[in-house]
Amino acid sequence: MKLVETHPNRRTILKTGAAVLGVLSAPSVLRAQAPASIKIGILQPVTGALAQDGEYGRLGAELALEDINKAGGIKSLGGAKLEMVFGDARSNPEAGTQEVERMQEAGVAAIVGGFASPICLASSQAASRYDLPYLVDVGVSDQIVSRGLKNTFRFAPGFSLCTAAAIQNLVRINEEAGKPAKTVVLVHEDGLFGSGLAKLMATELPKYGFEILEQIAVPTPSRDLSNVVLRLRSLNPDLIIPSTYYGETVLLARTMQQQRVRPKAVYAVLNGAASNRRFVAEFPEAAEGVMDCNHWYDPRNEKSKNVQARVEALGKPYNYNIPLNYSSVALLADAIERAASADRGKIIEALGTSSFKGHLMPYGETKFVNGQNTGAAPVSTQVQKGAIKVVFPQDFADAKPVFPANG
Amino acid sequence: MKLQGYLPILVVTALLAVVPFLSNSNTLYNFMVTSLIIALAAQGWNILGGVAGQTSFGHALFFGVGCYTAAMLQFHFGINAWLAFLMALAAGAGAGFIVGFLSFRAGLRGSYFALITLAFAELMRILANASEWTGGAAGLLLKLDPGFANMQFASRASFMWLALAFVFVGLLISRAIAGSRFGAHLVAVRENEDAARALGVDVLTVKLKAISLSGAMTAAAGVLYVQNFLYIDANIGFGAWISIEALLAPLVGGRGLVLGPLIGTFTLHGLGELTKTFAGRVPGIDLMVFAVVLICVVAFASDGMLGLLRRFAPRLAKRIAL
Repeated sequence: MKLVETHPNRRTILKTGAAVLGVLSAPSVLRAQAPASIKIGILQPVTGALAQDGEYGRLGAELALEDINKAGGIKSLGGAKLEMVFGDARSNPEAGTQEVERMQEAGVAAIVGGFASPICLASSQAASRYDLPYLVDVGVSDQIVSRGLKNTFRFAPGFSLCTAAAIQNLVRINEEAGKPAKTVVLVHEDGLFGSGLAKLMATELPKYGFEILEQIAVPTPSRDLSNVVLRLRSLNPDLIIPSTYYGETVLLARTMQQQRVRPKAVYAVLNGAASNRRFVAEFPEAAEGVMDCNHWYDPRNEKSKNVQARVEALGKPYNYNIPLNYSSVALLADAIERAASADRGKIIEALGTSSFKGHLMPYGETKFVNGQNTGAAPVSTQVQKGAIKVVFPQDFADAKPVFPANG
Repeated sequence: MKLQGYLPILVVTALLAVVPFLSNSNTLYNFMVTSLIIALAAQGWNILGGVAGQTSFGHALFFGVGCYTAAMLQFHFGINAWLAFLMALAAGAGAGFIVGFLSFRAGLRGSYFALITLAFAELMRILANASEWTGGAAGLLLKLDPGFANMQFASRASFMWLALAFVFVGLLISRAIAGSRFGAHLVAVRENEDAARALGVDVLTVKLKAISLSGAMTAAAGVLYVQNFLYIDANIGFGAWISIEALLAPLVGGRGLVLGPLIGTFTLHGLGELTKTFAGRVPGIDLMVFAVVLICVVAFASDGMLGLLRRFAPRLAKRIAL
């Protein structure tokens, strides 16, 4: 699998090498000289607990760099190629900052990635010491863009954007179906992510006529959720909102399936599993009908279809990390193109005024306010017949929501 | 005779101090700073686990208390970083005293003591993860504001020297203990607690002193961590990683010996870092080397690197007063 993955890369490198040699050996009268390549730092956790996500992120960035270089590199710099400097954040923030230092020494023009919020927080701060532009790929913590760091940009939506959109989407979907859902139970993990989300939901949802029956906290990791599901059965809510990580969501969905607990819908927010193709592939019956509000690519975008086909040809699932990283690298390349310089200050300036549209996400035009892309929005997805479909907003949907999901 | 014991400490510190003059590479500084922080935490562990023989598996507790005290005092109250550092030391010693009082008074030894320390650290991790006061799972982020008053430095070398100064003080304290009456009591407790008690050693007091000192030293490492990375969350502060690092370094270097933790840290991390430089493309290769070194030490050199030195070069070992 590794061989297949790296083969085309090596070939392109050889080709570029041959081209560079050719140009160098040409008579100087031609004044043709290959412009120096621009180094781009790609930071992802490819060992440790987050290794799976990190690999997807790296793949997305690699594909983007490949495409940009194939299309002639940075034209305003005489076709300068982008060169990847990869760093393994090892799933922890200090390894992330160490890699930032290494990239700084390698002379990168900017850094893309991080994945987890703690890694993004620490690494972007380390990068700010050198005014090194840092583009966050996924990390949703609101803190990332609220620290006043001039070098840090986030292309994807953050926590508050996501939850606000999730509530709006839910209300709309419910209204369109004739308000079948009235009662809600929140199942959340007991860390900041889960309890923060539950607190927000518990204050916001009653405003739209929902009744919160109970909030159930579960620890991460949990080995058994039978009691939680028994409680769900006795409460019999219309809607279950889980905000848990991958393992617990899978466990909850499977236990509910075993005990035949069938609420009208399961509506997750930024969930670890509900929009992960692995969950859908491994437990299709448990996953059927589950909705999520999360990062997702634009299913109608032609470019995205092309990238998806290439990813799937490598035998990998097209999870959201891939288009997000692809888009972030493309956004950066666009900024360098407009800055017509590899100078960090100029790249930061160009990123700040970006109106980039050539990405794979359902976002529309990019517009940064204090480092956050205000054009970004999550979408609501639903597992339908073993596939993850976008059901809301309608502009990007490739399916209609099945709501209520169970009769 | 007495001064001779301090000579190796001076030599090692001087050698480490000139590193910034040899290279200007930030990667090197980062490696040095991280290693020195771990070495300091390990020195704390070594006083309790090495000299006094009370194997702790939860030094993350003290590291985390140091991290969070320094971070929260600055974050919530805007207290000066140096003052916060002193208070973090006191908090670390206090945490050590409490854990020690609860477990030693109950007569917990060996694996039972190891388990209770692990439990305390985990308890704190869960609390820090859930409480809003500690920033919960999102952690606390200190403002980047280089300046001596903030214990932050624009130049990486300055921070390295600061960390080295801490380690140096730690070494001096360890050395002073090794040659003192208190040190002899600790060794007596390690070798045979009942015999020590029979000889008139106040075992509980001695152990409490050791764990408080150990806690303060490891808390100092926590403060350095926060001041360097300016970010802390529950898994960094109270996660098992630092408990393991603090425990492995003395085991690899030489348990109970003054220079053991420092040498252990640099052996483990130095080799890891070297392989990363030479075989950088393979993710996780340095972790594999780490594992191999560890297995070799446990299998072939149970007294650590300094134990090896003692075995193969006894005269040199004697001269540097191991």
